[in-house]
Amino acid sequence: MPLLALEGLTVRYGEIEAVHDLSLAVEAGEVVTLLGANGAGKSTTLRAVSGLLAPAAGDVLFDGRSIARLGPEAIVRLGIAHVPEGRRVFPGLSVRENIMLGASNRGRIPKTALVRESDEMFDLFPDIRPFADALGWTLSGGQQQMVAVARGLMARPRLLLLDEPSLGLAPVIVQNVFAIIGEIRRRGTTVLLVEQNAKMALSVADRGYVLETGRLALAGRPAELWSNDAVRAAYLGGSSARTA
Amino acid sequence: MDLVLQLFFTGLGIGAVYALVALGFVLIFRATNVVNFAQGEFSMVAAYLMVVFAVDLDWPYGWAFLATLAGMALLGVVFNLGVYYPLRHRTFLPVIISTIGASIFLANTVLALYGPQPQVLPGWFETPGVQLGPVYLDSQYLLIIGVTLVLVAFNHWFFEHTLLGKKLQATSQDKEMAALLGIPVATMIMLTFVYSALLGGIAGVLVAPILFVSIQMGSTIALKAFAATIIGGFGDVTGAIIGGLALGVIETFGAAYLSVPYKDGFAFLVLVAFLIFRPQGIFGERIAEKA
Amino acid sequence: MIRQAGPVAYAIFALLAVVAAAFAPLDDYMLHILVQTASYAIAVFGLTVVLGLCGQINLAQAAFFGFGAYAVGLGTADLHLDFWVALALGAAFALVMGAFLGVATLRLGGHYLAMVTISFQQIVTLIMVNWIPVTHGPDGVGSIQRPAHFASAHAFLGVCVVAVALVGYLVWRLPHTPLGRAMRALRDNELAASVVGVNVYRTKVAAFALSALLGGIGGGLFAGGFAYVSPDQFSFAESIVFMTMVLLGGVASPIGAVIGTALLIVLPESLRFLKSVPGLYLAIYGLAIILIIRYMPDGIWGYVQQRARRWFAPPPFGAPPPGLAFAPSHNGALALEVRQLAKYFGGLRAVDGVSFAVRRGGVHALIGPNGSGKTTTLNVLSGVYIATGGRIALSGRDVARLPPHQRAAAGLGRTFQNIRLFRSMSALENVVIGAERSGCNAGADHPALVERARAALAFVGLEARARERVTGFSYGHQRLIEIARALAGNPALLLLDEPAAGLNSSEKLALRDLLKRIAAKGLTILIIDHDMTLVADVAAHITVLNFGRRIADGVAADVLRQPDVIAAYLGSEPDAAARP
Repeated sequence: MPLLALEGLTVRYGEIEAVHDLSLAVEAGEVVTLLGANGAGKSTTLRAVSGLLAPAAGDVLFDGRSIARLGPEAIVRLGIAHVPEGRRVFPGLSVRENIMLGASNRGRIPKTALVRESDEMFDLFPDIRPFADALGWTLSGGQQQMVAVARGLMARPRLLLLDEPSLGLAPVIVQNVFAIIGEIRRRGTTVLLVEQNAKMALSVADRGYVLETGRLALAGRPAELWSNDAVRAAYLGGSSARTA
Repeated sequence: MDLVLQLFFTGLGIGAVYALVALGFVLIFRATNVVNFAQGEFSMVAAYLMVVFAVDLDWPYGWAFLATLAGMALLGVVFNLGVYYPLRHRTFLPVIISTIGASIFLANTVLALYGPQPQVLPGWFETPGVQLGPVYLDSQYLLIIGVTLVLVAFNHWFFEHTLLGKKLQATSQDKEMAALLGIPVATMIMLTFVYSALLGGIAGVLVAPILFVSIQMGSTIALKAFAATIIGGFGDVTGAIIGGLALGVIETFGAAYLSVPYKDGFAFLVLVAFLIFRPQGIFGERIAEKA
Repeated sequence: MIRQAGPVAYAIFALLAVVAAAFAPLDDYMLHILVQTASYAIAVFGLTVVLGLCGQINLAQAAFFGFGAYAVGLGTADLHLDFWVALALGAAFALVMGAFLGVATLRLGGHYLAMVTISFQQIVTLIMVNWIPVTHGPDGVGSIQRPAHFASAHAFLGVCVVAVALVGYLVWRLPHTPLGRAMRALRDNELAASVVGVNVYRTKVAAFALSALLGGIGGGLFAGGFAYVSPDQFSFAESIVFMTMVLLGGVASPIGAVIGTALLIVLPESLRFLKSVPGLYLAIYGLAIILIIRYMPDGIWGYVQQRARRWFAPPPFGAPPPGLAFAPSHNGALALEVRQLAKYFGGLRAVDGVSFAVRRGGVHALIGPNGSGKTTTLNVLSGVYIATGGRIALSGRDVARLPPHQRAAAGLGRTFQNIRLFRSMSALENVVIGAERSGCNAGADHPALVERARAALAFVGLEARARERVTGFSYGHQRLIEIARALAGNPALLLLDEPAAGLNSSEKLALRDLLKRIAAKGLTILIIDHDMTLVADVAAHITVLNFGRRIADGVAADVLRQPDVIAAYLGSEPDAAARP
């Protein structure tokens, strides 16, 4: 049984049908990537999984159990952590405080234990250790991304939803971030990664899905998808004849 | 010089009251992005509750105070559920109007129940005051300043050193993200309203023995607390406190040297002046940076 | 049809009301009630304008009411002026104070305005009570005179009813004037209003000043009616009473104002016991405000209108509209020239020295992956953000420092990714506002503007439903209405912000055809979108951004084949040399 399954998911965003009849599955231990051009419905899909949006039709199953009607606070308690687009580090709190709050879904944990756990996070993200007491708004984009991912991991999720982690980051930082995704998978967390940067995403994923205007266009292993011109077309338009 | 010191002390005392009410405003604003126009009425209701418990029912002051606090906590809960929460997704204009309606409702309900005669609430202490050199320290003013110091320290400790305080801050800064982490946002908002009601209530109980306990005391205090938050920089906690103290001092000196009947007008003039010339207040820059 | 029959019916009805007022056998008590209702209604009309039409809060209406009342009071009793002169002075003073208050504070957000109006109200009350040499303080002003020929209670009531009829008519017609449309637009969507050419700040000040003026007129009549005024009649509590009246009756219509006023004057009178317990009736007012805002925000009349709308189908137009004519200015070959454009948000360089030029005529696309700075660029071009640096030349004219409504006047039209239509208005009204932008269609009268708006709607294929409210249209059609609104303003350059977002494939095909037709008319379009199929199909020229910088610029087919453009979208190879 897949860890996460979407069955015929339809999600409305305001008056638009942003996702239509989407079905996909994520097995435990995998890194699965959702690709597609901007506006394809990738972020909307993640928001429906984490409970920020309620599906108009279809179902979201976590460990076989329907979570489509639950709110975000209940879903994160079940073990799905969502690191949303734009990082959204709390600007007025310190890096350590941001990270500690990531454990808010796990019930009462003494502060000393949280401090210890945040130190362990700094082992995984050594680049932000010097900034432990710096306020969120002072960090660069790449540093904020690491804080956001660390915060997500503090929830001890079984499934981590990562939304466009490379957004707005310089290529060197992006490599760093994706190396961490590899490490996360190695430690046993399942990852559903939404990305615009198809190349990087496919370099780290086990499988991928390509969305186009809210619908599933392609599915397969990275090598298949990459060599398939349809991926190129999904982003850059036109038929395979267009490519050089 | 003696007079200046005396006025300064008195100004700080009254300013401390404004600071407490302003703190209540700022906390609600940061959590909900709404200005609570009924904040002053919290102080007024608390003062009347004290009159009911300590004077009418003749309970010992301490018990009366605790009962008043319990009443204020309840008021905070009811206020959140009745006035703010149902409108939380609408634009700010309906919410402002709703809180204005609540302030009118509270003030006039108390008026209907209690009548228009101002009430007298005795101070906490038997001894009226202490002479310290050239300055006469009224015991109630001493109490106000002392309690405010304690509350400000508590407030700082709570928000900066406890996990719950951090969760409240997170909710103010990004509600959706807080929900994604599992922070119970609705509970956080409820706590904010209860806490602000308690702060306002304590301010009302502290100042009641000095002013008369009247229906109008709420709106007067509220507008001055507004002015304080604007002076300090809207949304900034430290600014609200310093703004409140500063306003208390300005007002006291103004009444002594300029004019007594227009004393209440100083706050409004300062408010309008700041809004025109420096809307971000004294500490405004800090907010702009904290994107 | 209602439009033509309306004024006539209204005049007849008003005349009947005046006659009834002047001659009906009413006792003194009823006459007083009616005078109070009439004078309050005029003040409440002021709130209909500023709050209902323009969406701005005014909690000092009792102060303005008081200005009028004291002007008439002091003027006739102390200065022995003629009633009309005193009334005019009072109204003028209220107008000036309202404008002053508006100018001073309307640049700030809504709750600041609320605070300032409350403070202003309190200051005014303080002055009324304490400035005894002038205002007589708490004793108030008595022996107020009425106008010479209308001194009897009946006659004065007639005057009041005439005033209500006249002012009511003006307030009724206001929503359909350019100023009224501007107010409603800014209430519905302030950003879109400014981009479409409405001077938001001036409109708000006008609404505020008008509200104060009406408050003053009402107050003056009130003073004449009651012959005695005192400060407690013009306190903050009274401002709340006015607010409750307008909310209860229905905030967007003068009919609602009259209903609310009448109810809230007559009801407490008949439920006299409520006034016996001090505070009880105001407590009920407060509770009423909370409940009305929550359950019936459009008030009684708003509720009635909503029900009636179902049965009230808007009539179609007669003759078909003319074809849509474009006559954009012909200054130079470049519709837009952007040089070294920069926009920094603190340390973030969202746009970092971008330069490109858009030739006149045809479609130019600005593309780039998410976070590349193209939306920020569009916002800087249309004035939503002020550029940190660089030059923006629209038809040769530097617009980089102009606010949005002046850029619209200079010939910039724009649509929004998340569709910003004025939701309370019909498709036609939305497009008419676009046609009304200053600098375009100069000298055109209203019927000509309506014709132009209809032509724009016909161009996008929606003229048959011109009179329907925009909320009844599908998302794709709303997008078309927004484009029509921009076209109606005869823009030199049309900025389209992700026009294909949220459209299904057939809607996208229709959009593509529309864009081609617009381009065929010689209009210049700058389009941002992610749908590369659409972009490649309509755009002759493409500029590509990445990380706030320009990485490619040229003929569409070539640009989409360039390796660094492909890499920008699909992602770059992990650089082997950079790995630790």
